[in-house]
Amino acid sequence: MRRLLSCCVLLCLGLLARAEDRVHWEITPRVTAPGQPFRLQIMVESDIVLGGAQFISREIKPPRGMALRLSGQVIRAGSNEATFNFSGVAPEQVGEHVIPSFNLRFARKVVVVPEIRLQVSDKVSFRREAQARAELVLPDRVFYVGELIRGAIRMRGGENEAVVASYGLESLAEGFSMAVSAERQPLPDELGQGLQTTFDLTPIREGAGEFSLNGIMLVQSGEAGAFNQSGRDRPFAFRRRLMVAHVPERGRPAEWNGAIGRFVAEGLQLSKDKPEVGEPVRLRAILTGEGNLDRILPPEIRSDETWDVLPATERRRHAEDQRMFVYTLVPRLPGKLRTPAVRLATFDPATKTFSRLEFAPLEVTVTGNAPAQVDLVTADPSAPVAAAQPKPVTGLATPEPRRAAPLFRGSPTASLGEATGFWSANAAALGLVIMATTLAGVLGYLAAHPEIRRRRRARALMRAALAEAEACRRRSDARGFAVAVVRGLQSGVAARLDAEEQAMTQSDIVRVLPDADRPRLDILFTLAHSDRFARPGAPPDAATADADLALLRRLLTLP
Amino acid sequence: MKSFALLIFCWLTALAAADAPSVAETAYARGDFAGAVELWSGEIRAEGVTAGRLAALGNAEWRLGRKGRAMICWERALLIDPRDPVANAGIKHGLDAGGVDRPKPTAVEEYAMFLTADLWLLLAVAAFWVTVLCVAVPRLRGRPASEANQWTRVVALTVLALCFPGLWGSRSLDARAVIRKPEVSLRLTPTQFGEPLRGVAEGDVVRTERPLNGHMRVHTADGKTGWVRAGEIEAVRGPGLPADLDQKAAP
Repeated sequence: MRRLLSCCVLLCLGLLARAEDRVHWEITPRVTAPGQPFRLQIMVESDIVLGGAQFISREIKPPRGMALRLSGQVIRAGSNEATFNFSGVAPEQVGEHVIPSFNLRFARKVVVVPEIRLQVSDKVSFRREAQARAELVLPDRVFYVGELIRGAIRMRGGENEAVVASYGLESLAEGFSMAVSAERQPLPDELGQGLQTTFDLTPIREGAGEFSLNGIMLVQSGEAGAFNQSGRDRPFAFRRRLMVAHVPERGRPAEWNGAIGRFVAEGLQLSKDKPEVGEPVRLRAILTGEGNLDRILPPEIRSDETWDVLPATERRRHAEDQRMFVYTLVPRLPGKLRTPAVRLATFDPATKTFSRLEFAPLEVTVTGNAPAQVDLVTADPSAPVAAAQPKPVTGLATPEPRRAAPLFRGSPTASLGEATGFWSANAAALGLVIMATTLAGVLGYLAAHPEIRRRRRARALMRAALAEAEACRRRSDARGFAVAVVRGLQSGVAARLDAEEQAMTQSDIVRVLPDADRPRLDILFTLAHSDRFARPGAPPDAATADADLALLRRLLTLP
Repeated sequence: MKSFALLIFCWLTALAAADAPSVAETAYARGDFAGAVELWSGEIRAEGVTAGRLAALGNAEWRLGRKGRAMICWERALLIDPRDPVANAGIKHGLDAGGVDRPKPTAVEEYAMFLTADLWLLLAVAAFWVTVLCVAVPRLRGRPASEANQWTRVVALTVLALCFPGLWGSRSLDARAVIRKPEVSLRLTPTQFGEPLRGVAEGDVVRTERPLNGHMRVHTADGKTGWVRAGEIEAVRGPGLPADLDQKAAP
């Protein structure tokens, strides 16, 4: 009895106890070289049906320098097992790297994955050039607030692998604004096979900032062939600490307008070479080069005794890496003038020095006269004062407010040409006249050529006869078939010969269709008109009927 | 006979009433030019614009010393009736004795002043339609064009050709404005601190070119070109009565 009781207790304990979740992981290869790709597989067994896990990429936190992305999860329906595959690239530092413990969140439970350890050793033989790899191209220096930094991720193919695609680019840039400028562009020839994604970074505040980029590239094995096109993904991750400073105040010129980079003053353009005094002309200053063209404030040009400067809207050409500053200039004096100087100060982040740019001024010939000069030239003090010309005595006429000319009525507000609907009504009337004239021309042509209508009617009759003949044939009505075919042939031939349909005979048909079978026509006509004759014709067989219909169709297709 | 005499009397009375001077004319005749301006302005607002009313209003404005308003009235009267004697006399008086300047009309403008802009346009459109119908009607009727039809075409095409300079001149006449402010400087540049070239007097007529920066580029009668503020001039082509430039805009 006691033994039975203990057995029952054990059984109850066994039933009540929950089976523990079992988690296994495996890294291939077990020990990797620095930068070597590896695969991580995590297998989970549980006491319940698991299904798919969620938010895995959010839960897993690979150590610094290691790229690790989920490649996929294997789930079987109704199974309490799940397998997760990860692709990774080992860090460059030798030693043991620990992926911290993380959770796998299933629909019904959370399974804890223990720490995973990756051994990186430089004793492992690994040829980096054989594998596809990603490189971050970013200058290694102090950056400046407002600067435009052009960076790139180069995904280079190896001897055994080719990069065919990339996706899932994620970035985290504290204190920077980032914009991808071109994605998945082919690498230059000298860098070999691969793709590159370029981006623009602009620091927006001073200090140290963390910049991280990660993504996935799709690689294919080097053995190219129709049966070896299996691709696999390989993640990449870059994390860089960037230092940002303000452009130094020491040596900063007063006219520095935020230009950071290397620029070239391409030149000035003038909308008119020979303007008149007081006539506005448009001056365009074109700046090219590498740098933050978008962020440069337009250089100020002040009005002087020769030019008056007005504000103008400027346009930016994005495609050509150039910036255009536009000004409206109004010449004040005549003669050969030079356009005002457009000066710009720039800061080169590579050499950390300021430099000045000046657009070479253009020579402009201004025509016309300045009023002061005209007065000086024309007013000769030694000349005798001209006597004032006596003006003829005139006066105002007596008002006639009730005077009305029948022809001259209207309002000075707006002319008739500006009235709404004037031109549209005229255009509509003109359109109607053109339509009516065209219609009259078409109708006149049809009236002059009655054969067009006659043949059109004959074609309609022939189509109807053809349809009727086929219907008669289907119901084995030999005489009806012959009547329909003969009527169709008569209609078609009559239109061609400009004669009456009923008067058309076999001879007329042969005149229009010379290769028609005359004896067969005789049989058809005899059969069709058998009510007039004592002896009906023989009914046609299938081949003969086809030939009759073909004859009618041929007549129908004649132009 | 009695009733006939009564009819004659009524007719003569009506004629006499029609010829009697209006209140505005009486006010003008006795020197109340402000009253005449008010009355003629009221008539124009109530009964519409005519060349005679505008010319009369111009006379009254001139008498009040408002040259700009007077020139606007006369110029607008000439837009309606290019041969209005009162407006022509007023402009001639202003040019000869009143100290205002007006660009000399070009040959095309002289030609265009034979008719109004609307009449030139109507004539051109009518000539065009006569030509079109002369071509279309024989085709619609299916008959060859008669000799009269051919002559009509030639006449219509000639009229159309003669209308083109008139239309061009009318367009040129429309591009004029009158200086409305008493002391206006013709500026070298269209800016607030643009250098004044010379003064232009109120009532001077100028040719207008194009606007920029709140200014209008103008040519004066003596060939000077410069900029004046857009609010200092009033276009000749506009509503019947001169604009009240001193009126403040509604908030």
